[in-house]
Amino acid sequence: MTTPPFRSVPDATVITGAAGWLGTALTHALALPGGAWSRSGRIRTLVRNRVEGDRLVALGSAVEPVIGDLLDPGSLAGLFEGLNGDIDVLHTAGIIHPPRVADFYRVNLDGTRTMLDLSTRHGVRRFVHVSSNSPFGTNSHPEDRFRNDEPYHPYYGYGTSKMQAELAVFEAAAAGLDAVLVRPPWFYGPHQPPRQTTFFKMVRAGRFPVFAGGNQSRSMVYIDNLVQGLLRAELVATPAGSAWWIADERPYTVEEIVETVGRALVDEGFEVRPNRLRVPDIVARAAEFADATLQRAGRYHQQIHVLGEMNKNIACDISVARGDLGYAPDVSLYDGMRNSIRWCAEQGLDL
Amino acid sequence: MIGLTPALSHHSCQVLVIGSGAGGATTAALLAESGVDVLIVEEGPWIEQDSVVPFSLDQMDRQYRSGGVTVALGRPSIAYTEGRCAGGGTEINSGLYRRPSEETLDRWRTGYAIHDFDDDTFYAACDEVERSLSVQTVPGRHTPASERLRRGAERLGWQHDEIPRWMTYPDGDDAAAGRRQSMTRTYLPRAVLAGARLLCDHRVDRLILDRARAFRAELTGPGQAPATIDFEHVIVCAGAIQTPALLQRSGFRGLVGRALSVHPTVKLAARFDEAINVVDDVPVHQVKEFSPDLSFGGSASHPGLVALALTDSWAAMREAVTSWPEIAVYYAAITSQGRGRVVAIPGMRDPLVTYRLTRRDRDLLGQGLARLALVMLEAGARDVYPSFKNAPIVSSRADLANLTSGFSAAAASVMTVHLCSTVPMGSDSSRAAADSHGRVFGADNVYVNDASLLPDAPGVNPQASVMAVALRNARRFIGEEL
Repeated sequence: MTTPPFRSVPDATVITGAAGWLGTALTHALALPGGAWSRSGRIRTLVRNRVEGDRLVALGSAVEPVIGDLLDPGSLAGLFEGLNGDIDVLHTAGIIHPPRVADFYRVNLDGTRTMLDLSTRHGVRRFVHVSSNSPFGTNSHPEDRFRNDEPYHPYYGYGTSKMQAELAVFEAAAAGLDAVLVRPPWFYGPHQPPRQTTFFKMVRAGRFPVFAGGNQSRSMVYIDNLVQGLLRAELVATPAGSAWWIADERPYTVEEIVETVGRALVDEGFEVRPNRLRVPDIVARAAEFADATLQRAGRYHQQIHVLGEMNKNIACDISVARGDLGYAPDVSLYDGMRNSIRWCAEQGLDL
Repeated sequence: MIGLTPALSHHSCQVLVIGSGAGGATTAALLAESGVDVLIVEEGPWIEQDSVVPFSLDQMDRQYRSGGVTVALGRPSIAYTEGRCAGGGTEINSGLYRRPSEETLDRWRTGYAIHDFDDDTFYAACDEVERSLSVQTVPGRHTPASERLRRGAERLGWQHDEIPRWMTYPDGDDAAAGRRQSMTRTYLPRAVLAGARLLCDHRVDRLILDRARAFRAELTGPGQAPATIDFEHVIVCAGAIQTPALLQRSGFRGLVGRALSVHPTVKLAARFDEAINVVDDVPVHQVKEFSPDLSFGGSASHPGLVALALTDSWAAMREAVTSWPEIAVYYAAITSQGRGRVVAIPGMRDPLVTYRLTRRDRDLLGQGLARLALVMLEAGARDVYPSFKNAPIVSSRADLANLTSGFSAAAASVMTVHLCSTVPMGSDSSRAAADSHGRVFGADNVYVNDASLLPDAPGVNPQASVMAVALRNARRFIGEEL
């Protein structure tokens, strides 16, 4: 496959959610001297406090943290201050496991609108929004694959907020902002938040819940594959309003994921018990029902939400990203999981 | 019009063929052309094609069973239609022709241990059908509704193609000028020319057996006149509902009628900015991006059927009906993991039909309807009216979320026209109800040769499969059973 031509690196790159999982990986990729994606030009990162900012500066001296809050547009005055020439915005900020359902909309929808407005006002060259699989719900069966263009079927509060954010991006694109979006599914890899170590712990203990035989299809994306896809979406000239799935080469079955993670843990020197937690489908359905009931009442419970999603198929087809962007995910599940486990060990995290 | 056999109180023949549709007409023609004395009994009337408007309510009244309103009970219930006329379903269906895939043939062969069922012979039979019925694509222009479907799929980058039809175009090249090469124009005249007799307007009530041999059929003719037919062999080709019902009324049990397989279908109406409705033709394009699980195509769209598509949400949608020239009806069909049953009830004219969708089937119907609505938006539809209770009108991508969140299969108008698999063939008697060539287990001279034999609904329009199987079995019968 021929790689489409890249535009020049912008004079300034603005990253929101820079202290988050994806934001940190992205900042790392851009600021790391000698890295495959390292770039000249200014790297402006939006963080919530000085601690986060210091952590990012440690990744590369070109990083310029700006303290502000997406929920308070007045606090964002400094984000574009003093930037000249081409500016690209990589909008990774979002919330996935908030305490209250209303937070989904304040962060994911209102926060995105705020950034779209600011970007329009500052004449941004390209705006890349990070969406999700959640606006599209679940596949009807394990062999189905979401095509690049699909009808919305949002999965509860998070899915609805991310769908509305997508619609806001398309609206801004129609109004003249060069905005595109990427849709990553469940991601994994270094810089992961603590909730992800729970995942490794469950697999180690042989206590990862596998529903109804574990033949459900799940797309996942290794964080560096996602960084590649996102930066290609930024740098390849494509029509405003474009959108792409960015995931690993192919979806996995849940059983395969549990088996591969177990193998990666063993190969990194951990003891792993055989996974025995076979759970009847009804448990996931009960959890989904509880999740729906809680969310209607405005509340959100992370474990119940995740459990309710575990018996679902969420699988996408990345061929349009390959064709349009030259996207080529080069890290596989096994290698990505080993990197992730190693990173946790380096951070002194207990698995 | 060909000569029909007059009603008598008693007939006799070497081979009785019950039903004159895609299975029966084909079987009768081959047998008669081999010198066999064939009598074909058809429950419905002979109706000349030119005397009825295709896809009209008049046609439903005259050529469909029960005026086109028959229902398989379940949650949801599934409405189905059957032809009841000389030529059967071939007189009223869309005329679309698609060979079953090699995967389908392999699934049938291995799943049911069907003997002598190789791809080459099967596809050679398809070649023969295609020649006999002049299967071809439209030489001229397509209908606007067909073009819209194609355009929507093309914009999404979704695979689509034009399905050939068994049509000739003596009066013009455009789609709507086609003349259907149905059984009343092809295999039935061939059968009669070779000496077969065709007895219309007679319903076979039951077959009489002496131990494992059937020897007589009891019939009801016009005015409830009883009649009998004595025969050496009987081949039942009454379609996947009536064939098992007749066998059950004649004492057959076991797996007969136990595994009905259909393509459940949901619909929507799409309104465009200009007139697109062609009342007497249906689109020939299909979207095959999600094949075989999901197929999208166009349905008959005369004003009555447009109104029918709007009735589930009549309060919100009724205003649209006056714009019917701008509206066309489209369908999303699925391959179903569910199965149904056909059970003859003593004293009742029609059997009880039930069908149970699986969870995956119900989810797939919703996903299919939403994807079809997306195709319609991309095709330029200003409004899309999905056929389920309290459905939202969809005019934008954001509205698709209302469709998907509001859909439930139980609230949908699910229907089907492809009924199969009620007497599946194969040597595996734990799954099949007839042997590899259609002889019904439990009798020596009772055969089935219609859609009932297909082990499952093939994921494409089934007439090609029905006719190729019928040719194969008829040849085998002539060679080995007579």
